[in-house]
Parts: sequence; structure tokens; C-alpha cells
Amino acid sequence: MAKTLMRFTGVGGQGVLLAGEIFAAAKIKTGGHGLKTATYTSQVRGGPTVVDIQLDDEEIYYPYANDGEIGFMLSVADMSYKLFKNGVKPGGTIVVDPNLVHPTDEDRKKWHIHEIPIITIAKEEVGNVITQSVVALAIANTMMNAIDKTALIDTMLSKVPAKVHAVNKIAYELGEKYARAVMDK
Amino acid sequence: MATREIISTGNELAAIAAVDAGCLFFGGYPLTPSSEVMHEISDLLPKIGGVAIQMEDEIGGICAVIGAAMAGQRSLTATSGPGMSLKAENLGLAQMAEVPLVCINVMRGGPSTGLPTRVSQGDILQSKNPSHGDYKSITLCAGSLAECYTETVRAFNLADRFMQPVIVLLDETIGHMHGKADIPTAEDVKAGIVPRKRFDGAPEDYFPYECEHDQPAVLNPMFEGYRYHFTGLHHDRKGFPTEEIETCRKLIQRLEDKVELHKDELESYEEFMMDDADIMIIAYGSVSLAAKESIRHLRKEGIKAGLFRPITIWPSPAEKIKEHTDKIEKVLVVELNIGQYHSEIQRAAARLDIAGLFKVNGRPISPYEIVNKVKEL
Repeated sequence: MAKTLMRFTGVGGQGVLLAGEIFAAAKIKTGGHGLKTATYTSQVRGGPTVVDIQLDDEEIYYPYANDGEIGFMLSVADMSYKLFKNGVKPGGTIVVDPNLVHPTDEDRKKWHIHEIPIITIAKEEVGNVITQSVVALAIANTMMNAIDKTALIDTMLSKVPAKVHAVNKIAYELGEKYARAVMDK
Repeated sequence: MATREIISTGNELAAIAAVDAGCLFFGGYPLTPSSEVMHEISDLLPKIGGVAIQMEDEIGGICAVIGAAMAGQRSLTATSGPGMSLKAENLGLAQMAEVPLVCINVMRGGPSTGLPTRVSQGDILQSKNPSHGDYKSITLCAGSLAECYTETVRAFNLADRFMQPVIVLLDETIGHMHGKADIPTAEDVKAGIVPRKRFDGAPEDYFPYECEHDQPAVLNPMFEGYRYHFTGLHHDRKGFPTEEIETCRKLIQRLEDKVELHKDELESYEEFMMDDADIMIIAYGSVSLAAKESIRHLRKEGIKAGLFRPITIWPSPAEKIKEHTDKIEKVLVVELNIGQYHSEIQRAAARLDIAGLFKVNGRPISPYEIVNKVKEL
């Protein structure tokens, strides 16, 4: 597998940091190299947050994704989307929550933008808004075909309390279902 | 040596390292981007009978650590730049009274409150002389996740060997990045612990500050029957204040010489693709990761660049630097400040034509910026 560069953006407190950690750890456990870096502002809750995830078979030195090289971005906050979208290479894939993020027509020409109501899925279909990061994880992995699904789910379950395992498994399956639906369009 | 794989952040690895190195006391005050060191060690220490205490501020943190160290425990504090400024006075006390402790500084933008969540390497010169007066700092700088662990372990052993504070510099990037670290097993680290020297003779014969001109004090733990005086004033062999001319001179000269004359025990650096290099990049901490990536790109284009990475920042590996800069014409220092180590490289190389690539806006230096700068040389 070549290098995979993904970026998750949102606002502080949404759980995007955890999603990045899960990706990196799962890649390492399957024998490769994974690295997660995050940047956030002093305004920890509510400030724009970006998580870069690098997955590679070779050793990774520089921990951040270089702007213009990112193949996939997922965004659940408009201010973060605007701040960080230009890191995505032309023709790359961007998934946004259409209730929160509003790409321009120009954006839609530059990138493959898919709309999936991530927060609504977590809140209403899974029944727990905190699972939005797992819905996002499933969407990213399904679209990028980055890591073996079982390894990713096992890593994810190892990082959340046992009492919420069932609900997070449901969140993953729903994320995958929605991702496949937009890919089939 | 056996190794193990841990998936974690630099800050957490530093905390784990402290515990594996025998640290049983943490005193501090949480400060971004160092807070996770405190979070992690607060979780670990109580499980093994240790103590982690959040003091009223950073000053209280280092004072508590000095107290624990005087009682014989390996002790740690962790903070970031503004906290180092507050700790400075008591780092000086620990230098003067020769108290072994480890202080982790996860660097963020400064001066003052600066850029709390952003990366910087602005505390390089501060770590050389945090307090007033003459003494010789020992400062180590981690350039990978694994080194957040191994350099913290080394810091504890050096603190006990040299009987003084040892500063471990991380930066926001390396402290927060999350990935794989191959590190020694806890058993190997424990087996490598060299505890501080003790005096075993009769208590009335004990003079903690009576030692060879290049050796540290021998401080037995307090409350074990070996009585001595503890002060930041110039002091005699028993620790009592004195203004006797020769005693004062010898004391401060010894604080210098115990490190200066044993630099070989401290020197540590990495040479990356330096064998055939005709361009030398000098970088440390997280910036060295961007430098390594840039060298990958440059080598693909046939440009023979290499990296020299100081790991022991103070005292600097000056002789080794000069050995390279005498042979290599094009030298570039890359750092996240306005040339704090650049001036040290100029001094070591005895050259004023050392190039620099600096950044002070809280953002990392990318590999492409280094590639472009190298091509301009």
C-alpha cells in the first residue's frame, strides 16, 4: 500500500482526535507505520481542530500531512472546513456533514465532495452523539480502503469503555453503509 | 537489549519513562502542551506507592520536587516555557545546593503566554541558563517518540551522577504526536539505574560538599541521621553559609568543572546520511523529522544532504560540530526560533557563514521549506 494521508477536521470536543489515534494504532498493529498529529487552538472546546493521519508501509519521519498531498478529508465544522480544505489535493475526496458544512460551487469542481449527515446519524440512528467519531472512522476507512476492517474495529473497541462497545459497533456499520451508498451513486 | 513496542504520545512516553527509571515523586502544575505528562504520571505513581501532587503553581511544583529529592527520591516536574520562567529561581537553588531532579519542558510559543497550543523551540537558550549565576546546565532534547522515553531515563541517571537538575526538552509536536515507539523493556531500564552516591561513614565525619574539584556533592537522604545544612547561599563543606574567599571560588568553579570536565559522559548526537554529505543540516527535536524527510527528497534529486542532530543540547557537542563544519562548506541550521542554536553552531564552528532557516509563528517547518532553502545555498 502506498502512503495514505487523511485529515479530520472539526471543533474541539467532537472526538476527532480519538478517531485519528484509532487509525494510527490499527495501522501499527497490522504491521505498518501510522502517525497522528493534531493541531488545535487555545480555545480547546469550540476551536477549530485538525487531525492529520499518515499510514505508510515505510517509516514516517515528518508527522504532519503536507498541504496539497492529502487524499481524503472529513469535516464536521464549517470554520474548520474553510481553514483546512486547501490541504486536499485537487481531485481528492472530501466528506462533509451537510447540516454543518457548506462547500462552494467552486469547491465541488475542485474536489469530490460527498455529503453524509454524520452528526444526525450518530444522534438519531445510533442514539448517542458521541459515536460521531466512529461513524466518521467507518466512512473514512470505507472510502479509502485504508485498513482491514476487523483490525480497525478491534482497535476502536480497545479504546472505548466496554459498556459502549455495542453502540460503537452499530455506529461503525452505519458509517460504512452510508459511505457505500454515496460511493454507489 | 530487548525492546518493546508502545503506541502512545511523546508526553505519555516521558511519564512512563520516569516511572520505569525509578521516579516516585511528581510535583507540578498542568500547563499546555505538557499537561499529559502530569496526567499520565498521576495515574501511574499511586499504583506503585509513589506520589503525584498538583501544587498551587509551577513554583510550588519545583519546590516540592526539591524536597522529595532531598529526601532521597528520584523526582520529576514537567511544564512548558512560562512554567520554566517561574521555576527558574528554584532551578538555580537546585544547581547551587546540588539537588538531582528532572524537569521536562514541552516547548510552546513564547515569550510570555505566547502560543499555548502551538509548537516552538524558543526555550533553547533559557535551558542553558534558566537561573542567574554560574553553573553548567545539562539539557537533553528528544527527536523521536522513542527518545521521549530514552532521554527521560537518561536524564534521571545523569541527575544522580552529576547531582543537579537535568532538563529534558520536548516540543508540542513531539509531545502530542501519536504513534509507535520501540523502547527498552522496563526490566532493562531498571537494571541500568545507577543510584546517587551515598556516604556510609560515621555521621560526624560527613561533609557533603567536601569533594574533588570536578566531582558533585554527596547528599545522603535527609532524615537518616546524616545532618547537614541546605542553602542557596555560598556554603562550606557542611553546607553552612560562608563568604570565605577561597571556599566561594572553589564551590562555583566546581559547579562548572563537574560538568565541563566530564562532557564525554554527556555527549550524544545522531548523524543521518552524513557519510558522503556535502551539505549539512543541523536540527533537533521535531524539526529533525522534517529535516530527515527533506533529505529523502534531496537525495532523490542527487543532492547529497545529511543531518547532524544534537541530542545533548547543553553542553553542546561543539568539537563534533567543528569536525564537520571544518570539512563541509554548506551548513544550514533549521529551528523553530530566531536562531538560538544557530549562534552556538557559529561559535562551535568558528564561522559566521552558517545559514539559517527559522520560523516563529507557531507552525512547523515543512520538509519542502527545507528542500527549497538547501537549493538556495
